[in-house]
Amino acid sequence: MKFVAVTACPTGIAHTYMAAEQLEKTAQKLGHTIKVETQGAMGIENELSQADIDAAEAAILATDIAIEKPERFDRIRKVQVPVQAALKDPVAIFQKTLAA
Amino acid sequence: MSLELKFACPLPNGIHARPASALEEVARNFVADISLTNDRTGNVANVKSVLAIIGAEVRHRDPCRIVITGADAEAAHAALSDFVRHEFPGCDDPTPASSNLIGEIVLPPVLTQSNQIIRHGKPAVAGIGRGRLVRLGGLQVPPNLPLQRNADFATESGKLDAALTAIAEDYETRLEQQHSRLEIELLKAHRSIARDPEFRQKLHEFLQPEQRTAAGAIVAVEKYFTMILTQTDSALLRERALDVQDVCYQLLRQIYGPSAVTAEPHLTQDSIVVAESLTPGQFLALNRKFLKGLVLGHAGNTSHTVILARSFGIPTIIDVADLRNETLCHDEAIVDAECGLLLTTLNDTIRRYYAMEERRIAERKARLRRFAHQPARTPDNCPVGIAGNIGTAAEGEAAFDAGAESIGLFRTEMLFFDRDTPPTEDEQFEEYCRALSTAKGRPVITRTLDIGGDKPLAYLHLPAENNPFLGYRAVRIYPEYENLFRSQIRALVRASAHGPLKILIPMITAAEEIAWAKQVIREEQNRCRAAGIPYDANMAIGAMIEVPAAAFQLDVLCRELDFFSIGSNDLLQYFAGADRANPRLAKLYDPLQPAFLRFLHKIISEARAAGKWIGLCGEMGGHAEYLPILVGLGLDEISAAPSLVAALKAEVAAWPMTLCRDLAAKALTCATAADVRGLLDEFAARRPTPLVDPELVIIESTSTTKQEVIKEAVDRLYVLGRTQQPRALEQALWQREAVYSTGFGHGFAIPHCKTSAVSANSLVLMRLRAPVEWGSLDGKPVQTVLLLTIRESDHANNHMNVFSKLARKVMHEDFRNHLIEAPDSTVACALLSGVLAA
Repeated sequence: MKFVAVTACPTGIAHTYMAAEQLEKTAQKLGHTIKVETQGAMGIENELSQADIDAAEAAILATDIAIEKPERFDRIRKVQVPVQAALKDPVAIFQKTLAA
Repeated sequence: MSLELKFACPLPNGIHARPASALEEVARNFVADISLTNDRTGNVANVKSVLAIIGAEVRHRDPCRIVITGADAEAAHAALSDFVRHEFPGCDDPTPASSNLIGEIVLPPVLTQSNQIIRHGKPAVAGIGRGRLVRLGGLQVPPNLPLQRNADFATESGKLDAALTAIAEDYETRLEQQHSRLEIELLKAHRSIARDPEFRQKLHEFLQPEQRTAAGAIVAVEKYFTMILTQTDSALLRERALDVQDVCYQLLRQIYGPSAVTAEPHLTQDSIVVAESLTPGQFLALNRKFLKGLVLGHAGNTSHTVILARSFGIPTIIDVADLRNETLCHDEAIVDAECGLLLTTLNDTIRRYYAMEERRIAERKARLRRFAHQPARTPDNCPVGIAGNIGTAAEGEAAFDAGAESIGLFRTEMLFFDRDTPPTEDEQFEEYCRALSTAKGRPVITRTLDIGGDKPLAYLHLPAENNPFLGYRAVRIYPEYENLFRSQIRALVRASAHGPLKILIPMITAAEEIAWAKQVIREEQNRCRAAGIPYDANMAIGAMIEVPAAAFQLDVLCRELDFFSIGSNDLLQYFAGADRANPRLAKLYDPLQPAFLRFLHKIISEARAAGKWIGLCGEMGGHAEYLPILVGLGLDEISAAPSLVAALKAEVAAWPMTLCRDLAAKALTCATAADVRGLLDEFAARRPTPLVDPELVIIESTSTTKQEVIKEAVDRLYVLGRTQQPRALEQALWQREAVYSTGFGHGFAIPHCKTSAVSANSLVLMRLRAPVEWGSLDGKPVQTVLLLTIRESDHANNHMNVFSKLARKVMHEDFRNHLIEAPDSTVACALLSGVLAA
């Protein structure tokens, strides 16, 4: 299945990227494809276009802070989780998203 | 006729020393007998005796009666009624707590979370000291004073009466000259004891029985009142015992002379000396081998002692309240002059914390020592003199040891303090020669006497002034005390034959002052020549630039003088019109104010254009972080406390002159001191520092708690010069931990922060010998820590992509295993650099 995700932690130094890596790693393991946008200290990287989002089945928002451009996700099935959850049990997040 | 006045004590602390003094001051204006009865206890006191009033132990809301009998009883009754109603309730103002002065110091979590007794003060000389608490001050009677002999009662009581009168007058005079509220309170309390009828009566009583001498009676009366006062349950009264001690000490001094009663404690083991105040003489008499720390009450008259303590690197805190507490006696205490604390109860956590602190400071010092004996040159090979400030010849050696290339300021006042007569010419000559001999051919800039203002000398009888800093001091008093000045000049001229001595005249404001001083110097040189005494005819003569007026006549001064030294402390306070001792004016009294930098620029460039040597010897020069600006402004030399010399030399070696000049030029265009600080911050970041470094890898840490781990990493960054504000950095890391733990599982944690407290982006890797609790995501303890720090002003996000790469990497088990298995710090560092560069 095709996912999109955004990660954003309070300082944007470490956990944003750790969570992104974790989601990518897990998606691969579960046989999904995913594109993860990071909103960290370097601003938005690997930005999701509206087309990316529209093409995906669901969105994972692993964020501790309000994100930039949230309106992009208005029309998609999505799950909002704390960044820590993405680190701790990423498989559960994918399951939860599929069930949403 | 007898009148009565009833009241309930309105003072929450009862009638302690201060209100008792106030009450006594009203009562003593009348001839009537005035007594106070505490109806709770039945105690009756003579209201003209502060000690008696205190002895009545009046507590809050105690019913009291004042009975007035005698000729002017009505007037006394009116005055006392008025006083009790209107002024008495206001007598209780607690003395301002010194903890307000702490300002921006951030206490480390291990201290804020501890329940130990911590006394707060103001750090004056940085460092950590550990040792037995030794109290100085109070009454110490030297063994050679006879206490009992077949003394003649009339003679001895005459001595006591005369001394009481004399010291009461002395307190009176000092009160008129005093502006500090704390000092005034103290002097008033002392004065009231000196004229207390009960005190006088007891002194005479104690003379009698064993044919005591005056000294014997003083010792006995001190014991008597100390016993009474320390038995009370009020801390304020116990404090009073120390006032009695002080007065008794003054009496002894008055009768037997200061030299007879100055007894120095003999330090025999590592000690922290605690004193309400300490004179430079008392300080110098302490055995510095064992002097590990200094804790002073109010800083009032101790600023010179603090300057000395700084030269010798003795950790010192000042403005500590509660020093008079009787219970302050401990075998193991720590003075933390980084945070301004005195700790007298220690537990293992605190001991471990301070062991780390001591290691941090020692390692930093050891690192800086590498620079101590290298010539101070910029990387583009421009020499910048780094010199030491000293106050005694004895400090010269320490200064050269610390890497000073010369003595940029030898303050000669110390020779003159703490004595009844000025030092003789020979005494001075010897001291100046000693300084020259430690210098071994290196220049010694010797400043002539800078007294008056905040540094009065009893034997000169200088008049009290409303505004001593703008008053009669230094070169301004020389014509009136010409003999004193001439004897110093003669000693200096004679000493000039023994090494490169340069004379520096303080507080020069007008050209006439220079002409006069030079005339005296020439006359003394001629006199030496006539007498066949050797001297250096080419001895350099210079002026302190510390009065703005001098800076606006530099061309004239340049024609007359060989060199200049900027006294930035006074220059700044006169220039900014801001008292340097007033913490409320700290923003104005800021050497980085652009106007002041422009002023310095004007002075330095005009002196240099005239081909004159110019140095700076104020506190501004001791700040390593300001050094690139000062170097860029073109100073020939910066002179600072010896303990700061190595750090300054390290800084000189770090920055090419071209960069410093650019920085100074930019600073001169800044609008605010904050802008200048921003500029300095950016500048500091230009130091080429790699993100990872084998020295940032701690391969086997013995830290046992999360607090210790974070501190150890921060301390390492400090030792390597990557942060100058370790506590602020620590706080930033803890603030991030407070959001949620950075322990992300697998035994790993990744603490991090973005802060202005670091000057370089850094990555610290720590492997812990034993796992520590971190509040991790998986609930398991942590054994490997990657700590990231990013500069606040790193707008370019220089290393962010590297950090984000690292953050992604740690999610992979193989990478984590590589870190765990790396055999040493070099391999671990190579591993990190390799991965991050990929």
